[in-house]
Amino acid sequence: MSVQEILADENELTHLLGAQQAVVLSTRVRLARNLEGFPFPGWAKPAHRKEIAERCIEALTQLPRFRKSHVFKMGDLPDLDRAVLVERHLVSKELASGKSGAAVISRDQTCSVMVNEEDHLRIQVVKAGWHLRGTWNIAEQLDDAIGATLGIAFSDQLGFLTACPTNVGTGLRASAMVHLPGLCLAGHIEKVTRALSQDGLAVRGWLGEGTEAAGNIFQISNQQTLGLSEDAILRHLGGWVKTLVDQEWNARRKVAQEEGERFVDRLSRSLGLLRHARLLTSAESMNMLSHLRLACDMGCLPEERRHVVDRLMIEGQPAHVQARQGAELDSDGRDRRRATAVREALRDFPEVGSPTA
Amino acid sequence: MSNPLKCSVCDAVATVHLTQIVQGKVTKVDFCEACAAKGGAGDAAVFKLADAVNAVTPAPAITCPQCGFTDVEFRRRGRLGCPSCWQVFGVALGGLLTKVQHEIQHVGRAPAGTVPVGQLRHRLLAAQQELTAAIAAEDYETAAKLRDEVARIATQLDTL
Repeated sequence: MSVQEILADENELTHLLGAQQAVVLSTRVRLARNLEGFPFPGWAKPAHRKEIAERCIEALTQLPRFRKSHVFKMGDLPDLDRAVLVERHLVSKELASGKSGAAVISRDQTCSVMVNEEDHLRIQVVKAGWHLRGTWNIAEQLDDAIGATLGIAFSDQLGFLTACPTNVGTGLRASAMVHLPGLCLAGHIEKVTRALSQDGLAVRGWLGEGTEAAGNIFQISNQQTLGLSEDAILRHLGGWVKTLVDQEWNARRKVAQEEGERFVDRLSRSLGLLRHARLLTSAESMNMLSHLRLACDMGCLPEERRHVVDRLMIEGQPAHVQARQGAELDSDGRDRRRATAVREALRDFPEVGSPTA
Repeated sequence: MSNPLKCSVCDAVATVHLTQIVQGKVTKVDFCEACAAKGGAGDAAVFKLADAVNAVTPAPAITCPQCGFTDVEFRRRGRLGCPSCWQVFGVALGGLLTKVQHEIQHVGRAPAGTVPVGQLRHRLLAAQQELTAAIAAEDYETAAKLRDEVARIATQLDTL
């Protein structure tokens, strides 16, 4: 099993034509679970962590959904491979920075389970586009299948017992990765972020906690996990995402109308720059690619090109660029390699036209 | 051979041992070489670090019999030691839970093969409220359905 296989395998976030949608890039559901009778990973002795990892990996790899899955032990992976998994959101930074963590990742990269992160098990399901119920259903099935083979720590009063009080109860974190260039251009993003926070939702950047919103991409997730049913948590998030999508479309149309030719010029310049640049930094390419995604959503570029933009956003991250090259690169080397990949992918892109959506 | 002393900051083996006597009060602190160096080059800086460690490390008041985790550790890490800690620290956590979660009763799913008691209790309360509302609105068809549901859930909970 190697991380190169993860990069080479086509999956719906980077390749599947038609899976991508305007505004919502992906839907994610995460469940925190722990084994009965074992200390949580942060307090467990190395021998316990080893036993926990063995039990969990054995149980997980028996499940039909994890047939022919990738099993990665963090201690065995080079730094670069771990960084690729983090950039792909398949494991967290926290798991990647320790030696005793492991990840079991399904062939299609839709489901992944982190073992020995903050909790013994972090079950994660990701789908391209906005599919909250579908994503939840898979997570629920996985949870039941895992619970049927491993004794899960649970109390009637507090629900699923987790290492941190912010996850206890349902252990559920549901999130949407949203692309909000319209609200950013219109200058409304701070107002929207404040409204979401006041109503119990967390707003984070592209790579989660403590990261900046590169490429106008934000991650919206529930904060409360106790005292609400899973259904209530999903409905609350779902309601807000729907509102956000509506507001984003209103902002996009308003900006496009007000700016007229300047709007098309802005998107067109980004395409031109990406097509001809020889050195591209990560932040610059993310912001320009955000314009191209906006162009695809609004009919300025053909919609079927959207998945190319999404793939470039994921594969343009530093560890991905180096993994593709098969070697560690310095900053200039990465910028050069990134620019080459982007130039090649956009070579046959048509010109940016006027918005139709 | 006795266990080597652990560093008061990072739990590594301590090689720097400090004894401070201030106005007749004796305090002892141990550091590994790295933490002592981090505290600064001179003795004054190390003593300052010693003061800081002593100030924030009071004696534990609660210890989990299952895993040895203490309330002092919880204040330091913000995480618990094992599932049993939830019972041991339950009372102490009550206030914190209300602060971070606003609620203290689980109403969601339960592990596969077990009865979701929290979910049932929650539904029972909601159904009772809906029943009262349906009767007030003279919607007897809905009220009859809700009455049956209330009876069914109550029986289910009674048999546990």
